[in-house]
Amino acid sequence: MKKKEKTFAFRGKYLLLVVIIFYGVLFLFNSGISLSALKVSILILIKILPIFVAVILFTATLNYFIKPKQIASHLGRKSGAKGWLWALAAGVISHGPMYAWYPLLEDLRGHGMRDGLIVVFFFSRAVKIPLLPMMVDYFGWIFTLVLSLYILVGALIQGWILEMIEQNNGELK
Amino acid sequence: MENNNNQKKQLKEPPQKPSFWKILYKSSLSFWAMAPLLLGIIGLVGIFQVLVTPKMLSSLFRGNLIIDTLVGTLTGAVASGNPVISYLLGGGLLRQSVSLYAVSAFILSWVTLSFVNLPAEVAVFGSRFTLYRNLLAFVFTIIIAILTTLTIQVLA
Repeated sequence: MKKKEKTFAFRGKYLLLVVIIFYGVLFLFNSGISLSALKVSILILIKILPIFVAVILFTATLNYFIKPKQIASHLGRKSGAKGWLWALAAGVISHGPMYAWYPLLEDLRGHGMRDGLIVVFFFSRAVKIPLLPMMVDYFGWIFTLVLSLYILVGALIQGWILEMIEQNNGELK
Repeated sequence: MENNNNQKKQLKEPPQKPSFWKILYKSSLSFWAMAPLLLGIIGLVGIFQVLVTPKMLSSLFRGNLIIDTLVGTLTGAVASGNPVISYLLGGGLLRQSVSLYAVSAFILSWVTLSFVNLPAEVAVFGSRFTLYRNLLAFVFTIIIAILTTLTIQVLA
């Protein structure tokens, strides 16, 4: 059977439309707040553009060098402890907002990445290596160490629980 | 006979690997398809950052340990922005005698939960996955906040 080619379609059109309408209505009632919000949004966009570019390049490089079967073996059902550790490490070193990573994760999921590993990735992002000195400065090193440790363990448990739920529902990949 | 051999050869040859540029174009295209979704989320983040002020957030803490931990989790999920801001706000809340349970929950949910991201998460990963992930993150944020504070009290 021939593999169906994905047709191009914009996603989130209605969400964007609702947000634009909201900005418009807000502008009618309080133009100052609306303009400030727009300014903040533009600044955020400028700040995360390099992350978007990096994610596109990373996705392309991954798809070029690694076959879908290999991705499935590293992050799929049979990846074992290696998969959990990859997800944990990737979450800790990932930078930028959560939504910047959605396209890459969607791509990896399409190639067989387990849902449990996505959960691990998202939660382990709470450990921010570049921000650790600042956290130590504000809350002390014991707090930083204990919290980071619990985050990593908690991330793994959540991934495991999700897989248990999916297994019980017969949805496990 | 020769034709048959050529056909066999063609069948044996592995499919040609697409060039890097073609793959890059495909990746860019799938990212571009998601542009309205990402722009919508960025627009929402902008609105939330302007409307939900630090003063508003800190006024929600009342001094009750359990309620404050819940409030910390929920306000962290509603607020958005760089995690550095959560540390600054968390430090400020501690100085205002808000419990460490609540502050831990607040700085943790700031990164792991986001109400603003929910529409995009549903669109990309599906509603069932989003529901499970956020429920788990919510419960674990509270558990970790409690465990962290208790561990620190024991160590102290």
